[in-house]
Amino acid sequence: MADVAVPQPVEIGRANEHDLRITWQDGHVSVYPARALRLQCPCASCVDEMTGLVRLITNSVPEDVHPLKIDVVGRYAITLHWSDGHHTGIYSFPLLRKLCPCCEKTNG
Amino acid sequence: MAVTTEQVLEALRSVRDPDLQRDLVSLGFIKHLAIRGGQVAFAIELTTPACPVRDVMKEDARAAVAKLPGVTGVDITMTSQVRQSVPRGAAHRLVPTIKNIIPIASGKGGVGKSTVSVNLALALVKSGARVGLMDADVYGPTIPTLLGITATPEVDEHNRMTPVEQYGLKVISMGFFMKPEEAVVWRGPMLHKTVEQFLGGVLWGELDYLIIDLPPGTGDVQLSLCQLIPITGAVIVSTPQDVALNVAQKAIAMFKKLNAPILGVIENMSYYACPHCGQPDEIFGSGGAEAIAQRLALPFLGKIPLARLVREASDDGQPIVMTAPESPAGRAFIAAAEHLAAQVSIRGMQAELSPAVKVTF
Repeated sequence: MADVAVPQPVEIGRANEHDLRITWQDGHVSVYPARALRLQCPCASCVDEMTGLVRLITNSVPEDVHPLKIDVVGRYAITLHWSDGHHTGIYSFPLLRKLCPCCEKTNG
Repeated sequence: MAVTTEQVLEALRSVRDPDLQRDLVSLGFIKHLAIRGGQVAFAIELTTPACPVRDVMKEDARAAVAKLPGVTGVDITMTSQVRQSVPRGAAHRLVPTIKNIIPIASGKGGVGKSTVSVNLALALVKSGARVGLMDADVYGPTIPTLLGITATPEVDEHNRMTPVEQYGLKVISMGFFMKPEEAVVWRGPMLHKTVEQFLGGVLWGELDYLIIDLPPGTGDVQLSLCQLIPITGAVIVSTPQDVALNVAQKAIAMFKKLNAPILGVIENMSYYACPHCGQPDEIFGSGGAEAIAQRLALPFLGKIPLARLVREASDDGQPIVMTAPESPAGRAFIAAAEHLAAQVSIRGMQAELSPAVKVTF
């Protein structure tokens, strides 16, 4: 089908106590350190909608921040409920794939 | 020598469902096979009662079995069991009893989305399916008028609504809750709440198909819908004119962005058949929606003619699929509904093969 260009996640679970693991349709496994993922929150209060500038102050996020709950959004994204109370970020599957730490490294 | 079950099944393996592209046996369509002497009886359980090729398949199956030596008669019952294409799981908690959710969208307004929604829904009802219709066009709800509904839904003590039933179709609309001269002037959060209420707060019961008539555009209602539930797929309605097609492509782009499948494109007001000479006049141009469907590799579900009869039937609250199903427009709607049902079945099959994302967090 023409509308399935981006790989889809097959399973979203824990890599360890705090970190997130996604297994993708193409077999790739991504592990996201919790705090790094929190700092990459794409919501309008963390990133300026017009300029794209990051508004979230790194120091304000606790070192041990971690997801408490994950909700699937429709067919295209997830919402993470964080231990610091934040929950407005919608992480789309393409964004998560782009944020995959090991792929980011190979991409330069 | 009497024919065996294996021989009959082997013969039926040669009959394929042209939409699902597999044979009737491996699809699990053959039920209640009984052989009494030379008499063979079985049921073919399709994935939709609105299957456009049911008669062809029935005849193919009959011919395949009748060919076997020792068979003197073949008795085939056609049944259907609509499959679930909406993935189960946490996101599905709002609408656990609905198998398929199909929003009808356009980019531009005034292309006949509501008329198409009503007639598609009623064509599916007439085929024997259990169907609901949600009028999500909160700004200009026209579904009650098109269906001639004057009743209002009952609301129970838990604030849950019972949909109004008309022509066997279960209907919910913003129009039930406002006076004709009132207007909805809302920001996004209110629209989101309403969509949520129309899904989870309505006692829909068991439905094979829920058709959702969207407002035009790519705004809050569309976004809320795609966030709240995993939809089966959207249908895009457009007139053949460039100005409508350009905006229709934006609606397609929005659904793609939200990873929501597109089940197909319908060209409405495709041509005007002159009531005096019968000559078709392509008022808005011709074949534009079909060309776009082809270019974007989307199924084309059909062309609906522009006809006075459609307009009159709609204004009377007696849709053409009910009053004149044999008219050209009536036939076109029924054919489009059958093609839509086939696309839903194909999606349902894919959903069974590739299950939705599993969250184990």
